[in-house]
Parts: sequence; structure tokens; C-alpha cells
Amino acid sequence: MIAAPSAERAQLALDGVAKRFQARDRVVHALEATTLTVAGGEFVTLVGPSGCGKSTLLNIISGLTPASEGSVRLDGRAIAGVSRRVGYITQQDNLFPWRTLRDNVALPLELARVAPGERRDRADHWLARVGLEGFGDAYPHELSGGMRQRGSIVRTLIYEPPVILMDEPFGPLDAQTRIVLQDMLLSIWEGARSTIVFVTHDLTEAVALADRVLLMSARPGRIVRADRVDIPRPRNIFQIHEDPEFRRLYTEIWHDLRLQVQDANTLGR
Amino acid sequence: MPTRSGVDGLAVERAAGRPGVRWLFDADRPWAVNGGRVAALLVLFGLWELGAGRLFDIFYFSKPSLIVAQVGKEVVDPSFYRDLGVTSLELILGYASGGAAGIALGILLARWRYVAKICDPFLLALNSVPRIAVAPMLIVWFGIGIASKVFLAATLVFFITFFNTLSGIRGVDKALCDVVRVQGGSEWQIFTKVMLPHASAWILTGLKMSLPFALVGVILGEFLVSSKGLGFRLNSYATSYNTSGAITMILLMMLLMMALTAVADLVDARVMRWRPSDREAGGVAPKA
Repeated sequence: MIAAPSAERAQLALDGVAKRFQARDRVVHALEATTLTVAGGEFVTLVGPSGCGKSTLLNIISGLTPASEGSVRLDGRAIAGVSRRVGYITQQDNLFPWRTLRDNVALPLELARVAPGERRDRADHWLARVGLEGFGDAYPHELSGGMRQRGSIVRTLIYEPPVILMDEPFGPLDAQTRIVLQDMLLSIWEGARSTIVFVTHDLTEAVALADRVLLMSARPGRIVRADRVDIPRPRNIFQIHEDPEFRRLYTEIWHDLRLQVQDANTLGR
Repeated sequence: MPTRSGVDGLAVERAAGRPGVRWLFDADRPWAVNGGRVAALLVLFGLWELGAGRLFDIFYFSKPSLIVAQVGKEVVDPSFYRDLGVTSLELILGYASGGAAGIALGILLARWRYVAKICDPFLLALNSVPRIAVAPMLIVWFGIGIASKVFLAATLVFFITFFNTLSGIRGVDKALCDVVRVQGGSEWQIFTKVMLPHASAWILTGLKMSLPFALVGVILGEFLVSSKGLGFRLNSYATSYNTSGAITMILLMMLLMMALTAVADLVDARVMRWRPSDREAGGVAPKA
């Protein structure tokens, strides 16, 4: 049962989801009405200039932030509030400093009242899968940033939510660590095929990982471009930049992304 | 240690000898530091012993040999053990009840924001009352037995642990609560898995900081009115000009406090293993 990949494939649908904030004397449109369908088992990446509402979108899908308009559906059923079927991995690892790495990773099982022995076995299994065997008893402050982020990722993978949201999970890491973790993520995902929505500002990462890349505009955020990435899997992330399809997509999307980034900057951000 | 090579044996010996003196004053060598401490203590007590009767009056300042003799008298005196027992009992009861009440109310108010907002100014006002000023009233309300001493110690301990517990729970990182929330955790689980563990560092700091104040409260209460306890004993020695007796009691209280603090530090180090050693939990300065 330990290694069983999540068999469930969930389709995620956003229908006219918009977000407005009330800022002192004016209304800020963080996210324009967004309609989007992510197929079960699809890996979608979202790129866009900073402050374009990418994180707002993930917060709404996760249920942590209510949408001002529209609805989020999972396999056709509207979800209100947080759902254990939607996992969320953030840029900050948010490991609990008072828990060992093993107890951090086992947290979702503990919340679901899984027996301690099984928690331990499953946590150790996942730690080994991301190259962290032997670190189960370490506290977060004793680990490197890359190790902590791996811990944070398996803390979500361990309870196998059919949909996983990732908000720049490799953002704070150095280039070498990033690529190793991207490779690790792809090989795990290719086995389990959860539905993934992955936010990044790194276009290389966005194209290398995705089935589909979505480009968001400067604030107010909306999806202005969508590209299917027809690079066969399993992909070799270390050499993907040599792939002609990768190069073509990268150049095309970058042209549009640059315009959005310039837009965002003329708006004073 | 730097080593130098010399042509003749003498030069080598001198070169090795000089840094040898320097180790004695090396702040990073535990034995050098401890040696320095013992030396300082010996000098201090030596001056006290030799200066007594010459530089100052033994009647007012006693001297180490008299204090040692006094300790000899105390350990065979049953009334000393009675006083030690009474003070210890007051200390334990005052510390435990004040600490428990502080933690309980801190948790309650941290969870119940409306009541907390109402209580805020009143609690500040109460904490601003100099405890020494209320002490005579405590005697009126609680009598001259141990209850008044326990209460006085408890009020001092209460506010320190209360404010620390409150800050600890309020200062919790919202992102950590969201981790539990997203994973389907209940509000109760957020409280037990995030808020309480996060606050534990603050609570422990509060308990550690309030320990000396518990003893202050107890001794103060015994000074005012009492017929037993170390404070009573100290007071009766001092008022009868038995300076050796009084100083012995003061030193005893000092040792008692040092022992209790050492125990608290041990507990803290055990419970707070997860904390990086350079990080210090914050605390609220108490008013006595």
C-alpha cells in the first residue's frame, strides 16, 4: 500500500473566478474573471510577471482565499473552502521547527489519525524516495534549503491528494538544486499522475515541466496565452534545452512574457 | 597554541613558556575560566576573613569562618528544617498556582479575542500595581499563615507567564496554521499541533523568568508577618543583630535559587532541542 500511486484522477475547473481587494479608497482587481479547465493528470504551469495574481489564483483554488466571483469545481462538484483533495506546496517550506523531518512529513497522516507505526513507515518511504533517508530525525534548522523543500514536497505527496498546487516551490533554491528537484518531481509525477498547477516566474522551468503553459498578464491578472508542450515523456530535464520544440516554445512565449513584464513595470511595480 | 623552533634548547623553552602564561587568561579554555573564578572567590573570602576586625567591624559584616560555624549550627537545628520546609511549600504552591493560572488565562484570551480586548487595559493596570504595596492588604485578606505568601508569589508569577503565553500564541506564523488547514486539519488540531508547540518556547521562558520572583514574593510575605519560614528566620536574625545568621540565610536563598534555575535550564534544554542554539525566545520584563 505504501508505494501505491494515487489512482484517482481529478479534473479541475475554474469558472469565471475573479478576485477583488478593497484597498483603503479603491478596489484593486487582483484577478480578472478566469475560466480554465485542467484535465485529470495534467501538469499545467502558470507564468507571468510578479504581482500578476498567480498566487492569488492558487490561494483561491486551495480554498484558503474565497473568490469574489465564480466557482472552482473538482470533477464537476463545486468546492467551498479547503479540501483534503487539493494539496498546496508553497515557496516557503513551512516545516514546523519543533518537529523532526519525519514528523513533519507525517503531519497529514497524523491529522487523519493514521496509526503511528504506519505513519513512520510511510514517511520513511517518502523520505527515501527523495534522497533524504537517514535525515528523519533531523530538525529543520539542521537541514539545507533544498532538503527542507524536498521535505515540504513529500509532506504533500504522502497523503496523495489528486490535485497539487505548487507556488514557486523551487524559487529560493540555487540553480543546481532546482534542476535536481525538478527532475525528482517529474519522475515522481510520471508515476502518480496527479493533476498539478505549478506557478513559476522561470520560463525554462515552466516549459520543461508542463503539458501546458499558461501565460498570465500583468495585473489585473488574466490568462493571455496557452501553449501545449508536445515533448514526449519521460523527459530528460538536464538536456531539455537542446530540444527544438522546447526552443521554439520558449522563444515564442518569452516574446509575449516580455511584453507583460514591461507592462507590469510601467505600472509602477 | 603557537609553536616556535629555536636553535638552542633555551630559546625553545622560553618560547614555549610565554604562551603558557597566556593560556591562563584564555577565555575559550573552560579550566582557565573556572580557575579564574575559584581564584576570585578565594581572594574575596580571604579579604573578608582577614579584613574582618581590622578593616571593618565583624559585628556588622561577620566573616566566612563565623558563617561556616553558623551553618554548622543550622544543620542540627530542627527549627531550621521547619523554616526551610515552610518556605519551600509556599514557593512550590505559589509558583505552581501562579504559573498554571497564567498559562490557562493566556491560552483562553489568545483564543477569545473579544474578551482579550476588553481585559487588556485592566490587566495592564493590575500588573502596574506595585506588589509590595498590596502586600499588607494580602495579610488582611489571607491572614498571617502561608496563604498570603502563596498568593503574593502567585501574583508575580502569574503576570509573567500570562503575558508570555499570550505573546507566544498570538505570534504564531499564520502560514503554519494554513498548512494544517489545507491538509484538512480541524481548528482544534491547529491549536494543538501549531499554536501550543509554538507557544511552548514562550511559556517556558515565562516560567523560567518568573522563578526568582516567586521566591521574592514568598520572602517578602514572610518579612511582613510570619512565625515560620526562611524570611522569618532571616528577619529575626537581622533584628537581633545576628549578622552571621542573616548572611547565612541570604547565601542559602541564593544557593536555593541557583539550584532551581539550573533545574529550569535543564528542562528548557530538553524540551527545546529543536531550537537553533543562537535563537532566543522573547520575553516580557516583569515588574515587582
